[in-house]
Amino acid sequence: MPSTDPHAVIETRVLTKVYPGGVTALDGLTVDFAPGVTGLVGANGAGKSTLIKILLGLIRPTKGQAKVLGLQTGEKVRSLLGYMPEHDCLPADVTATEFVTHLGRISGLPPTVAKERAAESLRHVGLHEERYRLIGTYSTGMKQRVKLAQALVGAPRLLLLDEPTNGLDPAGRTAMLELIARIGAEFGISIVVASHLLGEIERICDHLVAIDGGRLLRADTITSFTQVSQVLAVEVEEGQDRLQAELAARGLAATTQARTLLVPLGGDDTYDVVRDCVAALSLPLCRLEQRRHQVEELFRDEEEGVANA
Amino acid sequence: MPDPAASPPAAGVIHDLGYRGYDGPRLGRAQIVRALTWHSFRSSFGIGRGVKGKIIPVLAVVAMCLPAFVNAFAVARGNARLFGYDVYVPSLRVAVVTIFLAAQAPELVSRDLRNHVLPLYFCRPLRRGDYPLAKYLALTAALLLLIEIPLLILYVGTIASAKSGGAVWDQTKALIPGLGVGLMWAVLMAAIGLVLASLTGRRAYSTGIVAISCVLTFILALLLIQSEGGTTATSTGARIAGLFSPFTIMDGVRVWLGGDPNVGLVADPGRYGPLYGLLAVVLLAACLGGLAARYRKVSQS
Repeated sequence: MPSTDPHAVIETRVLTKVYPGGVTALDGLTVDFAPGVTGLVGANGAGKSTLIKILLGLIRPTKGQAKVLGLQTGEKVRSLLGYMPEHDCLPADVTATEFVTHLGRISGLPPTVAKERAAESLRHVGLHEERYRLIGTYSTGMKQRVKLAQALVGAPRLLLLDEPTNGLDPAGRTAMLELIARIGAEFGISIVVASHLLGEIERICDHLVAIDGGRLLRADTITSFTQVSQVLAVEVEEGQDRLQAELAARGLAATTQARTLLVPLGGDDTYDVVRDCVAALSLPLCRLEQRRHQVEELFRDEEEGVANA
Repeated sequence: MPDPAASPPAAGVIHDLGYRGYDGPRLGRAQIVRALTWHSFRSSFGIGRGVKGKIIPVLAVVAMCLPAFVNAFAVARGNARLFGYDVYVPSLRVAVVTIFLAAQAPELVSRDLRNHVLPLYFCRPLRRGDYPLAKYLALTAALLLLIEIPLLILYVGTIASAKSGGAVWDQTKALIPGLGVGLMWAVLMAAIGLVLASLTGRRAYSTGIVAISCVLTFILALLLIQSEGGTTATSTGARIAGLFSPFTIMDGVRVWLGGDPNVGLVADPGRYGPLYGLLAVVLLAACLGGLAARYRKVSQS
């Protein structure tokens, strides 16, 4: 067994889940989740929801093991977790206050504490007077907030959010992501956000775990993802081929992308080298900018690499 | 940088109240089950629901109590007690329990299935069997109330006009087996109602399944008893005809355990009495087992 990180909030070791009928949802997944906000990304069917359900102890893995907050999965660890499911899970004919209070009781809170925390959780997610209305009268965005509030009510140490922006319009998505980022930063709760939208997740996460086909693609901090992906985009009006050759001669492997040369950004001297090359060839330079790969592209590359392998 | 927890809260700006965790005591599993049971018990009488949810429970209780009040009136005018504690008014009791069960068992289980609320329960510190257990305890308690309260009114209405302590004691001795029969009804019918209602999340269907199962089996048993010569017959056919519906099974158990065979729903089971007892136990075990199995499957999806 590989050495374990003592600070990890989630550790999985060769976690495998084969559903009856032979569908392999997780295939020997070994990964650690650090504290903070972690994006769990992958396409639909990559195994995100299965992983979350195993962490909650709702389903048993076929093989391997998972630890959450240093504990084996099961009912004990469940009182430390808050879970926001992907799909609709709210009754229409009760008020948000009643519903969240009731679930607070089921989380093990004494009656008065459950009431207080339900009111607070609903306030934190931005539901104020509306919380006395029946949930059936809510918009999709408000329902997503109630789902988040019920995950918060039990005072969890770790939140597992499954596609929290599902069904929201762009403004609603932004609001939900800001809310999640705030919970992670200000409430001191570690969060795992499962999503198939990398561009979205990227904005609020400290770490990323990418899975595909139940296997780990990559797990790292957001900064290390973006560091390796920094490039310099150089555009000249003519003589692109000559510039590329000149850059190669000086040790920079530039790639062409339509009318742009992409130069890997090693450090500040990369700018100087590019400037010198352009000057030496007397080329009309019209664009020189630092560009950040969207994490999405990075995964696309890796996924293609996996597919080609 | 100042510690945000130590700085005084900004007065008047309610939005800026910080998040507070909770490190206080947490309830154990038994207390959580109790909380869920209490919540379900209340909702089985429509408490915490809208006015619509209260109509059927209230009507059921009123209908069940009505004969007991009539009895109090009759006894006060010098009549003897109108019906026995152990059978009460059998046709009314069958009808009201069927309607209550068909309306309220889906309220307890189908609703959560329909709204997909179950993952929110099972991701909390409950065990798989705790949810159906709480629902079963709640519905049993609700049925117990529905069945026993009229008996207590019947008792109070009767002893209010009693002339001697001995008369009160006689009523008390008659009441106790009546309460026992009521308990049997609650325990068995709650199990049957819940397992049938939990088959589907579509409320109308699960109400239909419960109602049709109760009514059809009861009519079948009644027809069989009729065709074998009625409740006073002593043929083997008449004795076992009551085995075909839960209500007649329970009445058979009542007579087998010493109840009056001349009142009630079935012919005297005679030596087939133990068969009624066995079938009641098997039915209960099957329903509870089915309920547990149902939620073992549900909790994984």
